[in-house]
Amino acid sequence: MPARRSNTSRLRLHHLLVAPFASLLLVFFGVPLALVVVVSFFDLDQFDIIPTFVLTNYVELFGSSLTYTLYANTIKYAVIVWAITLVIGFTVSYFLVFHVRPFLLQLALFLLCTVPFWTSNVIRMISWIPFLGRNGIFNQSLIALGIVDQPLEFLLFSDFAVVIAYVHLFSLFMIAPIFNSMARIDPAVIEAAVDAGAGRFRVIREIVVPLSKTGIAMGSIFVVALVMGDFFVVKIMSGGQSASVVLAMSNETAVLQYPPAAASAVVLLLVVTAMVVGILRIVDVRRELAG
Amino acid sequence: MAQSGEIELCHLTKRFDRTVAVDAIDLAIPHGSYCCLLGPSGCGKTTILRMIAGHETPTEGDVRIGGESVVGLPPVRRGTAMMFQNYALFPHLTVLDNVAFNLKMRGVGKAERHQRAREMLAQVRLDQFADRMPSQLSGGQQQRVALSRALITNPRVLLLDEPLSALDEFLRLQMRGELRRMQKELGITFVHVTHTQLEAIAVADMVVVMDQGRIEQAGSAREIYTLPVSAYVARFMGGQNVLTGKVASVTDGIATLVSDTGERFSSPLNGQVVAEGDVLHCCVRRDRVALERVRRPPGALPEPTNAVVGAVHAIEYQGTYVKVTIDVPGREQFVANVVDSKFFANPVDIGDPVVARWVPEDVHLLTTSGQAGETHG
Repeated sequence: MPARRSNTSRLRLHHLLVAPFASLLLVFFGVPLALVVVVSFFDLDQFDIIPTFVLTNYVELFGSSLTYTLYANTIKYAVIVWAITLVIGFTVSYFLVFHVRPFLLQLALFLLCTVPFWTSNVIRMISWIPFLGRNGIFNQSLIALGIVDQPLEFLLFSDFAVVIAYVHLFSLFMIAPIFNSMARIDPAVIEAAVDAGAGRFRVIREIVVPLSKTGIAMGSIFVVALVMGDFFVVKIMSGGQSASVVLAMSNETAVLQYPPAAASAVVLLLVVTAMVVGILRIVDVRRELAG
Repeated sequence: MAQSGEIELCHLTKRFDRTVAVDAIDLAIPHGSYCCLLGPSGCGKTTILRMIAGHETPTEGDVRIGGESVVGLPPVRRGTAMMFQNYALFPHLTVLDNVAFNLKMRGVGKAERHQRAREMLAQVRLDQFADRMPSQLSGGQQQRVALSRALITNPRVLLLDEPLSALDEFLRLQMRGELRRMQKELGITFVHVTHTQLEAIAVADMVVVMDQGRIEQAGSAREIYTLPVSAYVARFMGGQNVLTGKVASVTDGIATLVSDTGERFSSPLNGQVVAEGDVLHCCVRRDRVALERVRRPPGALPEPTNAVVGAVHAIEYQGTYVKVTIDVPGREQFVANVVDSKFFANPVDIGDPVVARWVPEDVHLLTTSGQAGETHG
C-alpha cells in the first residue's frame, strides 16, 4: 500500500511540475488561438462584428483568386529562402565542424555567426536599404568600377531584396541546428568511410548528410515557419510591390476586418502545420533526437 | 590476394607539435603473420597503425606494404582495411548496408553487393540480423559486423585498433580465438593494437612491445615472455621478477651480482663481457620461484644467495597456481607463482616471513636497460 501511495503522490508531483508551463501555454497560446478560430466564424457587416456562426469568411477566402496568388508568392519565398539557407547552413556547419581544429576556435567562429543577431531585426533589415538602393553603396561601387554604367534597379524593392533580407535574417536558424547535429558525428565513422574508399563528396553524401538529417529538418522547420509568418520584410524590402499571406492579413486587421483576417490566420496555420508535418514525415526528428 | 601483405616500417617518425609520438621505428612484419603492437596507452602503437592505414601522415620515414611505399596513398589504394576501436559502424545504415558499404564505394551494383554482404554475414553467423540497425546489436555482434565490413574487400592487411577492449571478459576470450582462426584461414597479415599482455601473447606470431614511441622488443610471444631484453619488457609482460645488482665476480661465464640490500644473485652472461662493478639487470620467472616459510624474522637471517627474504604481502588464488606477493625490504615487490598442489601442501599466510629461492639456471640476463640510446641486437 505505501508503494502505491508514493506512486500517486509522485504522479501528482509531476503534474505540479508541468503546471506552470502548461498554464502559461494555455493562457497565452491556447486561449488566443481558440479566440481566433471562434472569430473566424463571425459575420461582418461594414465595421460591425456580429457574433454568430457563418462560413462566409472561408467561402470568400477560398473564392478569391488573390488568396492563391498570395500563397503562391509566400511559398515561392519560403522555398527559395529555404534552399539558400540550407546551402549556407550546411556549408558553414561543415566547415566549422570538420575544418576548424581547436574546439575553442570552432566555438568562437560559431558565436561570430550570431553577432548580427545582437541588433534588432528591423535595424538589420533596414540597413540593407542604403546598401542596395538606386544610389546605394553597391550600385555606386559597381559604377565606379566600370562594371555597369546604369544603377541596377532590381537590387532594392524587389523579390531579390526580399530574399536577401530573409536569408540574412534566418540563416542562423539553419546553421545552429545543423551545426549541432554535425558536431555529434563520431569522427571515427567518417574515417571508417574514408577507409572504405569514400572520397570527400561520397563521405558528405553517404555519411554527413544522413547523420545531419535531424538538424536539417529542424532548421527547415524554423526557416519555413518564419518566412510563412512574415509580413514586415516583404512590406519594407519589396517597397509595396509584393505581398505575403500575413501582409494581407495585417492590412485587413488595420481596417478592422477581424473575421476575414481570423479565417485567413486559421488557414495559414493549417498550411504551415501541414508543411511541418511533411518535413517530420521525411525525417523522424523525435527518433533521431532520442538516438 | 596475390599481393603480399608484408609490412616494412623504415625509420618511421610521427611528431605532433613538439611531442614525438613515434620515434624512428624500424620494423618488418612478414606476410601472413599475426602481429600485435603492445604497450601502455600513449606509447604510439595506435599512431603506427593509423600511419599504416593511411589515416595519419608520417613526419619522417617510410611505410612499405608488399615492397612498395604507400606514403601519400589513400587507404583504398593500400589494400588495407581497418577495424576501429568501438567499431565506428555507420549508425544510419542497416547491418547489411554497413557490410556492403565498401563495395558500394567501389561501384559494385546493389544486388551483387548485398549478395556478397549476406555471404560475409553468414560466415560470422549474423545473417539473421542483416536488416537490424547497429544500435540494436550487442557489443560482440557489432564487433563481428565491423570485422565483416573490413574483410569484404579481401584486403591484404587487416589493421585492428583495440578490437577486443569494448567486450566483456568472456566474449573477449572467445573473440580473440576467433580472430586468430580467421587470420589463419585468410592467410593475410593482421596488425592488432592492444594494451593487454595476455591478449597479445595468446594470438600473435609476433609481439612488438613499445614504450614512449620506441620499440623495446619485437619477437615471438614466447621470446617476449620468457626472454625479455630489458627490465621494461620483463616488468611490462608481468611474468618475471627483475633483479638488479653490481658485478662482484665472474667465473665460467656466470656473474655473481650483489644487490644494494646485500643479496647475492648468479646470472649467466651469455657471452657478454662485463667488468667488476658494472650494474646488471636480470630476471627470474615467477613460476620458477620456490617459497619456504622461515621461523625467524627476515632481518635475523644471513644474506641469502639466489633468494630473497621478505614477508608475504598478498595471496591470490588463480586456479592452477597461487600468486604470492612478497614485501622485500629495500626493493620492489617480489612475486612467486606457486603451483596449487605445492602451495596447499605447505601453505603460507599474509605476514609470514618467507624465503623465495630459485636456481641460477632460471635466471635470464637483461641485455639492455631499456633506456633511450641503448640498443642491442
